[in-house]
Amino acid sequence: MVSALDRMIDSVRRSREVLQDTKKKTGRGMIGYFHPVVPEELIYAAELHPVRLYPHFADSITRGDAYLQTYLCSYLRADWDQVIKGKHAYLDGAIIPRSCEAVTFLYQTWRRHNPFKFIDYINVPWKRDDNTIRFFAEELERVGKNLEKFTGKEISEYSLRRAIEIYNRNRELLRKVYSLRKADAPPISGLESIYAVMSSFVVDKQEHNGLLEQLLTEVSQRPERPEKKFRLLISGGCVIDLRLWEMVESLGAEIVADDVNNGSRSFWHKVVEAGKGPLEALARGYAMVPCAFNTSVAERFDYVSKMITEYQVDGVLFAVNRNCESEEFVYPDLDRKIRERFGIPTVGIETDYLMGLAPLRNRVEAFIGILGN
Amino acid sequence: MAEKEKRERPGFNKDIAAAIRKHYKDGQSKRPLAYTLMSSNPLIEVAYAAGIQLAFPENYACVCAARHASGKYCETAETYRYPQDTCSYCRTHLGYLYGSDDNPPMGGLAEPDLLLMTSSACTHYFKWWDALREIYGKPLVFVNTPRVMEPLSLPDYYIDHAIREIQGAMAEIEKILGIEIAEDTLSRAVTLSGEAVDTWQELLELQKAVPCPMDLSDLGNALFVLIVLAGTQEGVDLMKKIYEETRQRVNEGRGILSKDEERHRLLWLNIPFWYKLGIFGYFEDQGCVFPFSDYTQYIWGTTTMDGSKPLESLARKALSGELNTSLDDQIDKLLNDIKAYKVDGVIAHSNRSCRVLSVGVFDAVKIIREELNIPTLLLDCDHTDERVYSEAAIMQRIEAFLEMLG
Repeated sequence: MVSALDRMIDSVRRSREVLQDTKKKTGRGMIGYFHPVVPEELIYAAELHPVRLYPHFADSITRGDAYLQTYLCSYLRADWDQVIKGKHAYLDGAIIPRSCEAVTFLYQTWRRHNPFKFIDYINVPWKRDDNTIRFFAEELERVGKNLEKFTGKEISEYSLRRAIEIYNRNRELLRKVYSLRKADAPPISGLESIYAVMSSFVVDKQEHNGLLEQLLTEVSQRPERPEKKFRLLISGGCVIDLRLWEMVESLGAEIVADDVNNGSRSFWHKVVEAGKGPLEALARGYAMVPCAFNTSVAERFDYVSKMITEYQVDGVLFAVNRNCESEEFVYPDLDRKIRERFGIPTVGIETDYLMGLAPLRNRVEAFIGILGN
Repeated sequence: MAEKEKRERPGFNKDIAAAIRKHYKDGQSKRPLAYTLMSSNPLIEVAYAAGIQLAFPENYACVCAARHASGKYCETAETYRYPQDTCSYCRTHLGYLYGSDDNPPMGGLAEPDLLLMTSSACTHYFKWWDALREIYGKPLVFVNTPRVMEPLSLPDYYIDHAIREIQGAMAEIEKILGIEIAEDTLSRAVTLSGEAVDTWQELLELQKAVPCPMDLSDLGNALFVLIVLAGTQEGVDLMKKIYEETRQRVNEGRGILSKDEERHRLLWLNIPFWYKLGIFGYFEDQGCVFPFSDYTQYIWGTTTMDGSKPLESLARKALSGELNTSLDDQIDKLLNDIKAYKVDGVIAHSNRSCRVLSVGVFDAVKIIREELNIPTLLLDCDHTDERVYSEAAIMQRIEAFLEMLG
């Protein structure tokens, strides 16, 4: 029997083929989206398959630069490049959230050159109070109606609640996986954990729940791993170049916690109905996702502080993508606050999957050396 | 680059310069002082109705650039780990704050009592104001309105939400300052804002005249009045003065260039190079004027302001303008205005510091070129960080473009 982890790794590495196969088997339409702030449950309840869009790094950007400037984030440029080259052929449409400007305004470019049948946008609030959450719920209602028009099927309250239930289970299981890393000798590495999260962007959520249950069982049967010396938290935006995770852990550190879009931010929030219906619950839950573009430094610091304490973090590695202006802007203040409060060492590296890892390796190695002193 | 030839500029520029000096002087002495943003900001009228003196760090960054101080301030910000990818408005202001310049442009900005923010610009500004909250520890009042990606079908709930946001912000301001913003005072501010907007729209119409009565730098100066003095009698009076003088120029057939000299009418897309406004003088020497720009035409003054419906007017203002809406909406307007203003060439600034106005610009330029068959030039640069500007590279491209125009 193939282990859950192998299935997860395979789903991330061969996401296009896996998604194409899934579509063939299920016949379900597929909707792509960016960032963890888009309530996937809405897409799922419309009997569509949500896909978090990330590029494949093996393909170089050849056509995308005719549309998007090279001073925009390379992940987004690569994503768009691969979309217009037909590499995400399994998609039927996309929902683009208001987030960083590059993503937000890609909506217009996407719509003009729309390679798929469906395109919509969603305004995600930048503050979290009753008025902005009410508005977010109204946005979800509008997008939901557009999805209904697209599929020709109604999104019932029952189907929304069912989707929320499945997703809540997924979030709960991922939290359990992450909790394992609180141990002195975590039975699962940071890299393995990120595969567990990122495979959920590809695999059907119900099936993924089964994989997570299997993973938890398999991990509980593992022999004890040797205790690594340094416990790191990695902070940034889309830290999806998994070579980086692998490199850091190969240098003797253990990534025990993260504050990244493709990690904890994807499932840390809870969706709980409080008498105002499932859309309001989704709005309230997803408004709490602490991406850099919608979160103040103080809120981010609260989020990271809890992680540092709960996961007994020895140091923080900021992996900030070149041209990710929101993360770049948060980094100086967040870094200062962490140093002041916790007195632990931190380091910032500028990342870009188009760059080689060698210069970063030197910097990370030096940082781990500092942790050892 | 050739030095700008001495030409007769519209006299109102001196009045605007005086208003700018007064604004900065008032910012040094009057209290309470709030920092706020220039972009489609409904809190400007609210602040004046509340008796708050405003300062605009964004405008200050432009001033610093024009005085060639932005480069060193950006460098300082970078030593505080704000990388070059971040907006140079923000870096200029933060660099000024973190640095120790004994003689900053206009005497600098005084410490604020309050921070007023809207989300109608970009994430940078949200981050910038958040950084200011960290630096000053002063309350931040934040109006969080959505982007309007499909302006032709603006949902009612967007307006209702924006109204509630503004009401919430007013309640916060009242609580923080221990004041009450009277309904009639707000209504009066919105009425005055509306008068300035109406006059501005008439002013833009005058730019269709040949020869063109004002150049982009004059129009850029007039923007200060439209934005910073929105909701004040001073703003209305000055805007009317600008309009009257321009109308007279049109009636007398006086332009920045004479009718014979005016050989080309160009469109400037995106924000100008604030540290190199003299470039427009170079264009004038080459017989080129800029009757309009998306920057002067589509961002501010696009909403009718009705004093009898102050909250709705402010809500519509918050949701309007190019910074809020889709590029497609601007392209349609551009295609129409290029014809209306008799524009025969386009210079598009792909601005490293402004993603809002730059994402999609490749498409915009291509559509204009294809639909209208006019030449276009794309310049990769930055609005405030003059270290990004390369005289040789930029001028070489401009010269080639002008040669092509003939």
